[in-house]
Amino acid sequence: MKEKAEAVQAFVTSVKTFDDVLSYTVRTTKRQGGKTLAAPCLDPVSKKALIEMCNSEGLILIDPLFGNTYGKIDTALTHADLGVAETGTLIINSRSEDLRRATMLSEIHVAYLDESQIRPDMDSVKAEIDKILKTPPAYLAFITGASRTADIERVLTIGVHGPLELHILIMENLLS
Amino acid sequence: MIDTAQDLKTYKKRIRKALSNEFLRTALDNFAAAYKLSRAKAFEGIDLEALKQDIASGKDNALPFLETLFENFKTNAEKAGVKVHVAKTAKDACEIIGKIGKQSSVKNIIKSKSMTAEEIHLNDHLEKEGFKVTETDLGEWIIQLRHEGPSHMVMPAIHLSRRQVGGLFSDVTGEKLDLEDIGKMVKVARRELRDKFLTADMGITGANFALADSGTIGIITNEGNGRLTTTLPGVHVALVGFDKLVPDLETALRILKALPKNATGQAITSYVTWISGANECAASMSGKKNMHIVFLDNGRLSLARDPVFSEALRCIRCGACSNVCPVYGKVGGHALGHVYIGAIGLILTYFYHGKENSRAIVQNCLNCQACKSVCPVNINLPFLIKKVHHEVMKQDGKKPAKNKILSAVLKNRKLFHSLLKAASLVQKPLVRKNEGVIRHLPFFFGKEQNFRSLPALADKPLRNQWKKLNPKVENPSLRVAFFSGCVVDFVSPEQAEALLKLVDKHRVQIEFPMEQTCCGLPALMMGEEETAREVAVWNIEALEAEKYDYILTLCASCASHIKENYPKILAAEKEVLYKSKILGSKIIDFSSFMTNVLRISHEEFEGRGEKVAYHAPCHLCRGLNVTKEPRDLLKTAGYEYIPCRDEDVCCGFGGSYSLQFPEISSEILNQKLDNVEKTGADILATDCPGCVLQLRGGIHRRGGKIKVMHTAEAAALNKKTV
Repeated sequence: MKEKAEAVQAFVTSVKTFDDVLSYTVRTTKRQGGKTLAAPCLDPVSKKALIEMCNSEGLILIDPLFGNTYGKIDTALTHADLGVAETGTLIINSRSEDLRRATMLSEIHVAYLDESQIRPDMDSVKAEIDKILKTPPAYLAFITGASRTADIERVLTIGVHGPLELHILIMENLLS
Repeated sequence: MIDTAQDLKTYKKRIRKALSNEFLRTALDNFAAAYKLSRAKAFEGIDLEALKQDIASGKDNALPFLETLFENFKTNAEKAGVKVHVAKTAKDACEIIGKIGKQSSVKNIIKSKSMTAEEIHLNDHLEKEGFKVTETDLGEWIIQLRHEGPSHMVMPAIHLSRRQVGGLFSDVTGEKLDLEDIGKMVKVARRELRDKFLTADMGITGANFALADSGTIGIITNEGNGRLTTTLPGVHVALVGFDKLVPDLETALRILKALPKNATGQAITSYVTWISGANECAASMSGKKNMHIVFLDNGRLSLARDPVFSEALRCIRCGACSNVCPVYGKVGGHALGHVYIGAIGLILTYFYHGKENSRAIVQNCLNCQACKSVCPVNINLPFLIKKVHHEVMKQDGKKPAKNKILSAVLKNRKLFHSLLKAASLVQKPLVRKNEGVIRHLPFFFGKEQNFRSLPALADKPLRNQWKKLNPKVENPSLRVAFFSGCVVDFVSPEQAEALLKLVDKHRVQIEFPMEQTCCGLPALMMGEEETAREVAVWNIEALEAEKYDYILTLCASCASHIKENYPKILAAEKEVLYKSKILGSKIIDFSSFMTNVLRISHEEFEGRGEKVAYHAPCHLCRGLNVTKEPRDLLKTAGYEYIPCRDEDVCCGFGGSYSLQFPEISSEILNQKLDNVEKTGADILATDCPGCVLQLRGGIHRRGGKIKVMHTAEAAALNKKTV
């Protein structure tokens, strides 16, 4: 998973606790000079922890996400439901519109993935995907690396419309 | 907008203009080289032939049931809150989509890349209706701003340089941009288009898949614009060709496994988006996306029922047939397509955009088979291109004089052969002695034919020398019929002499069935199906394959035409079809015969340390899938084999192609010869007399030192005399 994802310019890091996920996200945002975060699908406890971290670092968690305006989102933090090792792909059930917007409009996308959810190839996720698609409405995203283009002189350029960076945090032990 | 030449004269002008575009040539050349490497890497460890076969048969199984798949799709999608429409024609589709926009009080529309939308000229219609339409795929946006059509199905703006794009963006934004800084240009596009995304009220996409059993559409993108287009506005319209219907996810995933790898050499694209039903959407009054899927027929449903052409609907729009096409590499997509580009474009244009737009471009095919071998769904593209050419001529109801003459002559073997003999006498004053080339081209060849010297016809055709050349063999272990092909028979009998020298003492009785004639490929190349059929039947009778162990030929093109095309041409004629299959099973090319049947050994040869480069004829390496044998043979015969760049790229001959499009043929030839000369080889060997003509003529014209010969001649040179 790590090798294939890194081959398409994703940043892959192993983490142990959910706190690691939150602090990684905050650190990465700070390092890139970002100010705002969106974390649309967090449970209340984690959200509270994230808000505290943001406050102490001078960052803003946009919440609710799109109450009035499309503010600039520097970093989006989301889960990934499945990983496909063969291609380094994340599969994210994106039925939530907030989640979709966060992952599309942000400059940096940080996605955490439970290690036990990594499958070898597409064949081994087929049944799970099929079930989701057959329970509409469904919006399912395969994400492999950052947004890219080669439309000008075939020069690979990262970050056209989607995030400029994709960070994958593989959680060795998911603590609930 | 898109304006495709409708006659050959206008078309030739466009071609000359395209050929003079240095940037285009270099860009496409670099691309072709890089593509080959990245594609090979992407498919490493995958059984590609099996995957191709799986996808192709999956598509073929679905084609007769498109209407049923559609009904299932519709039921599932409508249950999930989607409105499903059917558009019979391009015009219907435009009107349906315009109406959806009007009903939802739409002003601003964003689009993600869709070839199907290009097909129906959707933007033109919507703009006429007063909508503001913005393409959001970077390449599509660039060509939209330039009011052009795409020049490649996957990379629509590949014909433009960074400086052209930089200049364009500077004009559009009023901001002075560094014309070298592509990264900055992409940032500008991100900024400009982000605003369009946020203010659009309707998004239009295509779809790569429509999954019947769940009513899901699947969209493949790299930039992420497809996701934004399907998420932000309140209305989403997906325009989907009927051919995109697949039964289920499994079929779609199988296509996904091949598509990005074959298109750009990526294992998978950055994004693959699957949408089932109307999702949550804050921008819509109802809180649910106002979602429409428009299925486009525009000829697809009748095409699906066509016994021959339905194959074209397997296409998954990877664009690879352009990537490997030597002609595309020289003239680019604006000169080799209408809306759809490259080999598949030459076919689909006829069905989707009519014979007028097809007439000229469909003739621009070398029949080199490169597209066919790279196609992930095994479409026999060159064959279908020739079929379309035939259809266009049939509909036009008038044929070029050259077609009429060719047909009249080929259909009458005696006339054909006596004309060739007469020509060999007539040419005498024109021949350069000792060099075997024509000194001055006769008047009916234009001066653009001068890029390579044309060979002189032999004084005495092979058939008239045969009795003398070929002694009877006592107790032969093999009986072989020799199919000479026209070039060996009438231009290069010495290649057959080389063959006879090589088989000497191998107890092979080779016979020359005198009634044989041209294999018919030149007729098929010119769209003359009837003539091709007649000579095929003639040859099948003449060769009496059942009497021989092998039918041997020195010409890869004849062999592959007989083996592959005869059964196709004769598909409807049971008895002769059966015979053609026997013939096909016995036909063998020279190198395979020497290496695998005679198993000639090193001891028979003495090398003199000469270096040999090899040109792999299209119809040998792709037509017959023979790649190892000729190279092995050259080594066995005592040569040092030096690999050469693009050995398997066409030499530009293509039979009558080089007469029809000399300006392109010469460019392809020159590149080939540049590569060959870089190897420092003494000899260039190849297994096709036609390629020998082209390559030898080219070397002669440029005053090169490399000796060009058939592999048989090269091997015979080193054969020990005792």
